[in-house]
Amino acid sequence: MTTPDLVRLGRRTLLGAVAGAGAGLALTACGGTSGPPQAGPATGKGGAEGYDGPNVELQYWNGLTGGDGPVMKKLAQKFMDAHPKIKVTTTSIAWADLFQKLPAAVQSGRAPDVCLMHTADIATNAARRVVQPIDDVVAGAKLSADDYAELVWKATFYQDKQYAIPLDIHPAGLYYNKKVLTQVGADPTKPPTTKDEFLAVLDKCKSKGVKGYWVSALSVGGLVAQSMIFQNGGYMISDDGAKTGFGDQPAIDSITFFKSLIDKDYSPKNAAGDGDWVSFSNSKAAFMINGPWMVTPCKQAKGLDWGCAPIPVLGSQEQTWAGSHCFTLPRQTNQDKNKATAARVFVNWMSQNSVGWAEAGMVPARKSVRESAEFAQYTEVKQFEKMIDWAHFPPNVPGAGDTDPEWTKAISLAVTGKKPIDQALKDAAQKGDQILAANQKKYGG
Amino acid sequence: MSGRITGLAGPVRSPLRHHHPVTPYLFVAPYVVLLLTFLVGPAVFGVWMSLHNWDFMLPGKPWVGLQNYRDLFDSSSVLFHPFWNGMKNTFLFVLMSVPFLVAIPLGLALLLNRKFRGRTFFRAVVFTPFVLGVAVVGLVFGYLFDPEVGLVNGILDGVGLPKVSWLSTQPQAWITITVMTIWWTIGFNAVIFLAGLQGLPEQLYEAAELDGAGRWSQFRHVTVPGLRNVFLFVVTTTILASANLFGQPYILTKGGPGDSTTTAIMAMTNEGLRGFRMGSAAAMSYVLALALAIISVANFLIMRERKPS
Amino acid sequence: MTTTSPITGAGPGASDPASTEPGGPARRRRAYSRTRVGPLTYVAMTVISLIFILPLLWMLLTTFKTESDARSIPIRVMPSEWTLRAYRLIFDDAANPVYTWLINSLVVSVLHMVLNVVVAAMAAYALSRMTFRGRNLLFGTLIATLFMPGFIFFMPNYLTMSKLGWLDSYWALVVPGAAGAFGVFFLRQFFLAIPRELEESALIDGANSWTIFTRIMLPLSKPALVTLAVLSFLGAWNDFVWPVFVLFSPDRMTLAPGLATLYGAYTTDYPVVMAGATLAAIPVLILYVVVQRYVIEGVANSGLKG
Repeated sequence: MTTPDLVRLGRRTLLGAVAGAGAGLALTACGGTSGPPQAGPATGKGGAEGYDGPNVELQYWNGLTGGDGPVMKKLAQKFMDAHPKIKVTTTSIAWADLFQKLPAAVQSGRAPDVCLMHTADIATNAARRVVQPIDDVVAGAKLSADDYAELVWKATFYQDKQYAIPLDIHPAGLYYNKKVLTQVGADPTKPPTTKDEFLAVLDKCKSKGVKGYWVSALSVGGLVAQSMIFQNGGYMISDDGAKTGFGDQPAIDSITFFKSLIDKDYSPKNAAGDGDWVSFSNSKAAFMINGPWMVTPCKQAKGLDWGCAPIPVLGSQEQTWAGSHCFTLPRQTNQDKNKATAARVFVNWMSQNSVGWAEAGMVPARKSVRESAEFAQYTEVKQFEKMIDWAHFPPNVPGAGDTDPEWTKAISLAVTGKKPIDQALKDAAQKGDQILAANQKKYGG
Repeated sequence: MSGRITGLAGPVRSPLRHHHPVTPYLFVAPYVVLLLTFLVGPAVFGVWMSLHNWDFMLPGKPWVGLQNYRDLFDSSSVLFHPFWNGMKNTFLFVLMSVPFLVAIPLGLALLLNRKFRGRTFFRAVVFTPFVLGVAVVGLVFGYLFDPEVGLVNGILDGVGLPKVSWLSTQPQAWITITVMTIWWTIGFNAVIFLAGLQGLPEQLYEAAELDGAGRWSQFRHVTVPGLRNVFLFVVTTTILASANLFGQPYILTKGGPGDSTTTAIMAMTNEGLRGFRMGSAAAMSYVLALALAIISVANFLIMRERKPS
Repeated sequence: MTTTSPITGAGPGASDPASTEPGGPARRRRAYSRTRVGPLTYVAMTVISLIFILPLLWMLLTTFKTESDARSIPIRVMPSEWTLRAYRLIFDDAANPVYTWLINSLVVSVLHMVLNVVVAAMAAYALSRMTFRGRNLLFGTLIATLFMPGFIFFMPNYLTMSKLGWLDSYWALVVPGAAGAFGVFFLRQFFLAIPRELEESALIDGANSWTIFTRIMLPLSKPALVTLAVLSFLGAWNDFVWPVFVLFSPDRMTLAPGLATLYGAYTTDYPVVMAGATLAAIPVLILYVVVQRYVIEGVANSGLKG
């Protein structure tokens, strides 16, 4: 999900913001058989051999409508400089709209040549035959799981076929405000790593009249509460896609914990959806739990003295919510061979040269890039890299995101106290399971 | 409303056929093709869709019978909340907007019906927003009502009043959407009312004046009854238009805060074109249509009954 | 969605079978507008006009401001420095080609208007002047569709567009809406009220149906045709929900979905957003000034009973 969505939250639609915060929620339902996969054109060894055909123009879609959009455009420009025969036209459409338009574009034979999406979206789009398998790119470029973090590599598969090349990983981490920590008498060089340490700092804040960590009923259900659910050993959706974990103990414990922060005055009541960012950036709160895309806004915020670190372990395991952007090749009804080759060259190059993408706060997915000297200078993003093995990705089942609204609604009811926590979550689980069952039938058919 | 529909197809007097027997079919053919392809066909096909779990990208479209309809009325189903929330919001908007969208244009029309220099100009000015289109108007209002830098809050701030978050709290978001709708469409109804006023025979007013009727009494006893048909037309079409609310919240609030300005049409498109459950989306559209039909008929009957003897 | 009602979004739809007679009532009776007018009326009208004009002026003024001027609190009415930055940004932004959208909108609305008027006039002529098998069935169907709101055709027509390959094309905006029965019904009512003498004498002169239609009926029906044309144009022009979903390429969008994306892309940069709105508005305003009389009369006639 893109940063600025969260930043803008107060200003515009909450719906968009909830979709933003909830990209991590994305996932769902059930395996099954999809239509016959499209045979990829076996040209140019999956883009490994470069492109020397006639001039082509590629359409490249992504959902980067915020501050990360220009970073991506810069990368695409670098690619074009290196490949004068390939012109890449980048179109940024808000994610929610992108996934409405992409299937229609595929159906009407006007699909873009390359599309960026989250790994959470792969299964849905693979099952619906919106994107094509790209085993040939992988084979041609001689890529293997060893080149990437294992979890993110696995997240690009659907039914034993690979559909995407990962670009980045963006796990949730902890941001701490050094000024506030100093002010309340906590050590600004030692951010908390456990629940007890976290609460100890919040106590210090409270004693100084500072609301240390802002919890919003509108956004806490996103990566924040989910990270703790994973740490508690729970899941949002089970690996077989048959069941939600909304009503299970790990989820109930997580929501109970975050609601208690409000009840115990560590957080104000009725915080806005982006209250954590607004309070943090104005040095009114000690912490913010968020993705690495907030690194750039933090750097740009005037007078903010901050640091970031791995997320504290609030549960029993080292786990965190994570998302990943990856490149997919939408299905083409009339595949132009040259474009097919050029698209593969593009994807391959982007994956190899993804260090520039760290500019947007993202941790490159490719190992060789992460080990490069160039990446080492992104010290803040490096903090997030530490959590690569903690990353929790959604299971590869289609219908991703269909259960999000039920979860979001339940969190809002539970955290504002309009419904008892376990009842709200159990209700959501019941409806979520219904959705999953319906999806199982749909995608299985 | 339907007074002119005499018989079914109206009178055709001439017993002589003065055209080739194929000619009429050639005349109606283009329209009939369109009618069958885009109205009659879809009306039937939509029912068929609504009986399936229909995703146009998937080969399998499981038959679900009446399940989609049952779900709409089953509070434990996942369709229930989005649909009825949309219906409620749409209904709310109709209730909020229609009185203003009828009363203000009528007042404007009464003003414009006076004889004065420049009234053609004023009439044109009032109609202007409508030709700009909802998108332009939406952008302008998005800026005017921006909670931080908008002109409206700037003025409130300037006179020492607190700023209002026009788009992210309720009922402010509804107020903003209603104000925008009024500003945008007021001219349309005003022009129709004005035409109605200008069609009223002057003798009636003269007679009323002779009877010593004052302005108000003339309005009540001449203008209002004279405009009855125009009223019926305006109210009916305005209700239908308001029930189709989509563009204003789409631009201004994206259906928020929460889902409080998510309208029935939004619920339908979310379900069908974002969630790719076109079957249940089609079911939603039929239920909404039925509700509207009931409202229209009721409206028609109410306005008819008040006909003075 | 434009299937039945020429005006969607808001503004009266057309599921009401309104009708106009040749000549129009306004011509038969003199307008009642004797009321004396004092200065108060002018004050009132000026205030009202300002309510309509000021937001548009504000839009225009903002386009010449810097981003920080447009965001300044307290409000800064005049720009501290005049700049064309917003326009430069808009013209350089290939992803948001406002002029292409404007042209698309105009082309789509005009094509839709022409198709709608031509097809409806032909059908209305046959329905009002000829006897043929199936006439009652056709007329009955047509009346029935008048009472169906456009959105029930949305999902099936979306599929049809997809099957025809019309998604993301002009056709999707031009053609389906022309199936609306309002135009046929409206013109039929008008034709029925036209006396037959002229046609009968033309018949005696040996004219065929097409000649009578084009040389006699259409010229006599100008007011009704203008009304229908205006309503069709405005309907397509103001349509929002259908284009938002059937169009997706930046260069194929019309103003409605295009400006909505522009707003999303430049959220806080209001000078650019307002420049987009201004570029979209100015040609339309010029066009409106030119054809203002027809537009207003067209709309006025839509609500009149004979």
